[in-house]
Amino acid sequence: MQTTALAVFLSRLDFAWITSMHILYPPLTIGLAALLFLAEWRWVRSNDEHWYRLVRFFEKLFIVNFAAGVATGITMEMAFGILYGPFSQAAGPFFGQVLGYETITAFMYEAGFIGLMIFGWGKISRKMHLFATFNVALSSTLSAMWILDANSWMQTPAGVVLKDGFFQVVDWGAALLNPDVLFGFPHMLLAAFELALCFTAAVSAWFILKGQHVALFQRALKPSILALAVVAPLQVYLGDGLGRVVADDQAAALAAMEGHYHTYNPDGSVDTSWQVIGWPNAAGDDFAWSIAIPHALSLIETHTWNGKVTGLDDIPAQDRPPVLIPFYSFRVMVAAGGALVLLGFWGAWLALRGRLSAERVSRHRWFLRATIAAGFLPYISVWCGWWVREICRQPWVVYGLMRTEDGVSHMSVLEAALWLAGYMAFETVVWASVWYFLAKVIRMGPDLASPVAADGHQHLGELEAPSHDPDALPSYIRPI
Amino acid sequence: MNGLTQIQSIVTFAWWIALDFSVLLYVLLDGADLGAGIFSLFVRSEHERGAIMSAMAGTWDANETWLIVAGGVLFGTFPFVYGSAFPYLMVPLALALWGMITRAVALEFRHLAEARWQRFSDIAFGVSSLTTAFFGGMAVGAVLQGFPLTNTPGTVPTYVGGAWRFISPFSLWTGVAAVVAVTLSGVLFIRARFEKAEPIRQQAAAWTNSIFYLALAAVVITLAASVELFPWAAQKWLGPDAALWALVPLAVVFAAVQMRRAVAHDRDLAAILWLNLGVAIMAAAMMATVYPWLIPGTWTIYSGASPAVSLFTFTLTMGGFFPIMLMYNSYQLWVFRARVSALAAYH
Repeated sequence: MQTTALAVFLSRLDFAWITSMHILYPPLTIGLAALLFLAEWRWVRSNDEHWYRLVRFFEKLFIVNFAAGVATGITMEMAFGILYGPFSQAAGPFFGQVLGYETITAFMYEAGFIGLMIFGWGKISRKMHLFATFNVALSSTLSAMWILDANSWMQTPAGVVLKDGFFQVVDWGAALLNPDVLFGFPHMLLAAFELALCFTAAVSAWFILKGQHVALFQRALKPSILALAVVAPLQVYLGDGLGRVVADDQAAALAAMEGHYHTYNPDGSVDTSWQVIGWPNAAGDDFAWSIAIPHALSLIETHTWNGKVTGLDDIPAQDRPPVLIPFYSFRVMVAAGGALVLLGFWGAWLALRGRLSAERVSRHRWFLRATIAAGFLPYISVWCGWWVREICRQPWVVYGLMRTEDGVSHMSVLEAALWLAGYMAFETVVWASVWYFLAKVIRMGPDLASPVAADGHQHLGELEAPSHDPDALPSYIRPI
Repeated sequence: MNGLTQIQSIVTFAWWIALDFSVLLYVLLDGADLGAGIFSLFVRSEHERGAIMSAMAGTWDANETWLIVAGGVLFGTFPFVYGSAFPYLMVPLALALWGMITRAVALEFRHLAEARWQRFSDIAFGVSSLTTAFFGGMAVGAVLQGFPLTNTPGTVPTYVGGAWRFISPFSLWTGVAAVVAVTLSGVLFIRARFEKAEPIRQQAAAWTNSIFYLALAAVVITLAASVELFPWAAQKWLGPDAALWALVPLAVVFAAVQMRRAVAHDRDLAAILWLNLGVAIMAAAMMATVYPWLIPGTWTIYSGASPAVSLFTFTLTMGGFFPIMLMYNSYQLWVFRARVSALAAYH
């Protein structure tokens, strides 16, 4: 059976869709788990009920998000084999093993503690519960590490040789610590924290703006914004570092995301200009129009005034990635990252002057509105960042070693289209449900009435007798 | 693909046991959840349907974890099998996965939804349980039939036979048989999880007998079809060791009889355990029958194994994480063992 170019393109779309619809959930799981741990830790230390109410409220949102992550995540593990069978076979000795580590040291680990975290309130001691939350945070972080390690290896495949049709690992250390992961993993991890900080701040700002539970949510807003003032600039630094790794190891990818068509200007001098925006010409070998800043590209990528940056015209035509989507995705990601830095500084400036106190925070309505809007920016950034990363690697599935068309399963156009249609339907429903139910839980607001969970001292497996009171909440219902 | 050292061959064999063990645990644990979902299609009261979902709310995702574990072991240790079997099984896997997504959403968000959506999501829950069981069973049947591989020197043999080759009378039959089998498991689960006076438990009790005989017939037909279709099965079962193999049905019959006695005396947990024992014996016998193949006629466990398998990672997994996961999963099932009433659905 012949794999047509259209079928290859569709199977790329197939994978792009399921990964784009999955990456919406894990960053919040990772970041929010860490924030829940910090808040719960403060509750256990200070015995201050505010922190307990905040933890219980944000945990409800965490659960809705987590369920969607599981629903869309099971597919991911199967999809490598289904859509990219030959790639999975060839890369399996390294890539499959790393994903296997992820399953065992992160997924199973997380599954082991998430139930205790959700259902354990009042049944286990407070410290034991805090320990469960800590382990959920740690295991989800480990999960991100393995996934990013596997993906980074596809960008900078070190430590392997291609022999007998598959990648044989000759140096595990080099493969695991490939050049891309050293910035790629911290960049993604920090993105997860940034997203969770913005999410927490946005939800809190919404309540404060409406004048509900101001004293409670001010406690969540202020540290989130202060942390953002540190995390957002750090993320810019890491992004720059990752950009230089790409410049060193993936010249074609860098040229595509920067729309850098020519290494040299027509007069023979080095083309140093950074394209702010532009639109490619019909032939796709230059911009039809663009706005450019001279020397900026050389400064960003080489940290010198006139440094040479390889342009697309130095890359063989069959090895050039598409330009338009990465170029604009990159700019949107950078703009969103910059906006979050500004928001963090704005919040820090207000906090320094005492304006974020419970008495005064409600007056800064434009700041609160901006914070709510900023809740969406990290989601857009994460999407754009991944689109840059994955599209710029094309036409390779393992950069420089295995082409996408050689790694894809032999599917017909019909099969690839059926997959896409099915997942578009099912995962859109998941997405819509998550937004609907997150909004519903937020509207319902925090539960301030129920008694604070005390230290439980249950023996293993002991449950209270089934209640016959029709209003009683059975203990195995997820606490919403 | 056979350049394994002797120690690697032993490790590969052990990984194969671990893989099948994970699949078996998944079938036993999630099978009951799927069967209860299928049963819920025949439950009229919406509170009772909600109670079925509440009864598995605390455990369903831990049960499905074993499928993820099986997938991880397959990709990590048998990547050549993973990358060729899954394209072959694309359609049934996609349909089963869509079923799992639908089940997860219906289960997790039911208590947040408005009443009119609950009715819709209840149907979605039942139908998705049915499709997941059916296409999961079809995938197993298709795997037993094997599939052709490419034979290009210098490349890993892969699958190019198209997405529809998995359909055969046998795989259609194993889909039906899987639905029957998980329904039996689900009915026993309902019996065990609901208070004895509940109408839903009486409905499940009324089903037990007929669904048991259906499952028995399904097993016998599957065995007869296997003897007829698969030389590798007939040769072992009817070969010189036939007397030894005959012990297997004896053991299964013993477990089945014990299960029925437990059912008759309302010892519901014991009934589930006897059923699980019977299934485990059949699964072990099937593994012994298929050995050394992982996929009959297609990949042996050694030809499909990654040349990077190592004792180190195996020990880490089996010595560290598997036991913890087993302990945790058992603890969770134990915590959520109490009988419930239909009142559970009010929330």
